[in-house]
Amino acid sequence: MFKSLKSLLSVSTIAFALAVTASSAGAQSPGGTIVITTTPEPATITNALSSAPTTAELATKIFDGLLEYDMDLNPIPSLAESWEVSEDGLSVTFNLRKGVVWHDGVPFTSADVQFSLLEVVKEYHPRGKGNLGPVTSIDTPDDYTVVLNLEHPYVPLMRGLSSLESPIIPKHIYAGTDFRNNEAVNKPIGTGPFKFVEWVKGSYIRLERNEDYWREGKPYLDSIVFRFIADSATRAAGLESGEIDVATFGTINPVEMRRLESLDGISIAVGGYEAISPVMLLELNNQRPPFDNKLVRQAVAYALDRQRIIDTVWYGFGKPAVGPISTFVAGSGAFTDEGIRDYAVDDRLEIAGKLLDEAGYPLKDGKRMSIIHDPAPFGEDWRRMGEVIKQQLGKVGIEVELRNRDYPSFVRAVHNEYDFDMSSSWYIGMADPTLGVQRNTWSKMINPEVPFGNSSGYKNPEVDRLWEAAQTEADPDKRNEYFHDLQRLLVEDSPLIWLMEMDLVAVQRDRVKDLITSPFGIRGGLYDTWVEK
Amino acid sequence: MWFANAKYVLGRVLHGIPIILAIVVVNFFLIRLAPGDAAQVLAGESGAATAEYMRQIREQFGLDQPLWLQFVNYMKNLLVFDLGFSFRHNREISELIMDRLGATALLMGTSMVLSIGFGILLGAIAAVRDRTLLSHVIMILAIVTYATPLFWVGLMLIIVFALNLGWFPTSGIATIGAPVDGFEYAIDVAHHLVLPAIALSFFYMALYTRLMRASMLETLGQDFIKTARAKGLSSSNIVFRHALRNAIIPVLTMAGVQVSAMLGGSVIIESVFGWPGLGLLAYEALFSRDLNLLLGIFFLSSILVVLTNAIVDVIYTLVDPRIRLNGGRHA
Repeated sequence: MFKSLKSLLSVSTIAFALAVTASSAGAQSPGGTIVITTTPEPATITNALSSAPTTAELATKIFDGLLEYDMDLNPIPSLAESWEVSEDGLSVTFNLRKGVVWHDGVPFTSADVQFSLLEVVKEYHPRGKGNLGPVTSIDTPDDYTVVLNLEHPYVPLMRGLSSLESPIIPKHIYAGTDFRNNEAVNKPIGTGPFKFVEWVKGSYIRLERNEDYWREGKPYLDSIVFRFIADSATRAAGLESGEIDVATFGTINPVEMRRLESLDGISIAVGGYEAISPVMLLELNNQRPPFDNKLVRQAVAYALDRQRIIDTVWYGFGKPAVGPISTFVAGSGAFTDEGIRDYAVDDRLEIAGKLLDEAGYPLKDGKRMSIIHDPAPFGEDWRRMGEVIKQQLGKVGIEVELRNRDYPSFVRAVHNEYDFDMSSSWYIGMADPTLGVQRNTWSKMINPEVPFGNSSGYKNPEVDRLWEAAQTEADPDKRNEYFHDLQRLLVEDSPLIWLMEMDLVAVQRDRVKDLITSPFGIRGGLYDTWVEK
Repeated sequence: MWFANAKYVLGRVLHGIPIILAIVVVNFFLIRLAPGDAAQVLAGESGAATAEYMRQIREQFGLDQPLWLQFVNYMKNLLVFDLGFSFRHNREISELIMDRLGATALLMGTSMVLSIGFGILLGAIAAVRDRTLLSHVIMILAIVTYATPLFWVGLMLIIVFALNLGWFPTSGIATIGAPVDGFEYAIDVAHHLVLPAIALSFFYMALYTRLMRASMLETLGQDFIKTARAKGLSSSNIVFRHALRNAIIPVLTMAGVQVSAMLGGSVIIESVFGWPGLGLLAYEALFSRDLNLLLGIFFLSSILVVLTNAIVDVIYTLVDPRIRLNGGRHA
């Protein structure tokens, strides 16, 4: 993972990337169907307008982005064949692929790109402002050239142009309509490897092979079916009986995943979440006692045994997080573990006790303080993690009361009213810290209107300065230094507790081959995936 | 007789209208007591929303309007049977409900028939063979199935009959990609229906068995049965012609009430068997705070309950001709 830093914007990485994707070539045979189960059933299947996880899983088969990424998150061609960033970093020129047609037969042109990025994704995609914020205008000198003009240099731009983040949608269908209510939102037309066929609400969505796909001879599969089954045990039974080929992360309990893994014909598909960089964390309310006190926050960081949580609750699907910036982005050099305070030391419980004494919470009758923990309402595993945390914090005299609520109640209390002490959650770190990590600790993200921002209310002028400098810095090395400083500063200050880098593995039947061939994994186009007959 | 019945049902339905309206009004305000709104759920799912995005969503969903205005608009639309639009699903609510109604009706109908049929049969047997081994076995079975959680029954059926024996599919309503009409399709759906229908029937069957037994025992002890015996009628004649018809009335009453409960009970079964019915739609609507959709489903359920009760009344007259719908009962 710790490869020397490559120039992110260089075209020279293309050859390398092609070599990676071609390495598994050989026995692919065309044809066949795979059934993927995911949950929950999405509300819509056009990810230009929604970033819900299941929407993305579906839409990335139907739409393409300008770029894709190799396993080190360097850009490789997709709808854009080549690109060039200007010297001053204020414009990027993309040369588009010729001869690409939409699923309805209309040719794809630069107007579609201009429309999608500027009018739709930037405006409506919840992460559009992050990915494309500094893009002020897009020129289309001809049908196959687009020029993005930027307000200031913006390195993250080139990391957010995948079909997952910035899908290109057809202008001829959406222009001049109310996008969200356009019926194409649920009967999408894209340029991607698979075409939308039908959506039987409550049951499944079926996609079939795009015969005119621009990647010669691909995709291999005839069709992909996404099935929606509400019960986790039934999904596991479906995988066991062979009715389901792939179960995405979160559809089957970790303990059940380990059981299935031990069966013949079923295995765990590792990888395919690098570009998403998922990290689990505990949010602490920095705006009220006891967590307005840095010593108490550090004491919690010492008191928690991350490895034990990973082993007992998540059955090993993850590894302890060093800090906010994860090893997933190590390829770009943004990650560091040097000079970071290590909370996993042998005498961590003694240190935690001392810190709490110092903070003015002496031990009385085996107890120092009581707090309330709101586990994320994402399922029983999260509740179980709450129980383990309760037990671990109890060892240093912090009494924890668990409060379980349904999703909307949780979002309102924790993220809108900021009425909580400690809550669990996870965030999508994305391929660049500015895109995904910044929002949790940048003081400008303290906004009760917007859930999952800086809900802990953490304010630190130095942290703000570093995040803002990284936004506009054009030199990748300098940016990485900012990120390293942030990593050190944040781990020391401990406004949140970063628990684990999550392995969003899938469970699959072995007849499915080459399921994970990109850092997006199942959230990629699956055009390289095939089945054994 | 038929004319009188039709007139009665019509009257009941007309009486039902104010009840249904009252239910709608109470529901409208009641479900708004739940904290959080649809925009927050969507924003939460997106993982990264901006204030502008939240404002857009609220505006689009009409959540930025004052509550009384939302209510007035909702009632206005409802009076012309416009259930509104689900922004989350991007579809008309009536369409969403109609898509799911068939699956629910099929599952409910089959389970009702199975549970009432077997419930009456087993209950009657237990009463006629009272204090025998057979009766004890039936009553113990009834208690066990009544006390067993539905989801567990469902999972056990899946493990035994779908995984180990491989006789039935684990979930779903039909084979995906198979033809969607004709005889083959019907067989395919029936094949998928077996396990969920049995699982859902279990619980209710236990209820009907117990009810039927108690009612039958009571009836068998009455004077007219003694008279029948004294006349020298055969035992089967007594049971089927005289006792059963009288004993069945409480079961029918219960069944009428249960139709609405089954909508709720089937949430679990729909969830376990991946059955695309209304219960699941309501469940998801609740957790995504898709309030219009939830109200639409409540509205439909209240209509269903009013209708079923009227129909059950009519069935009474068929089972027991002494019952007259215009009130009163012949001596």
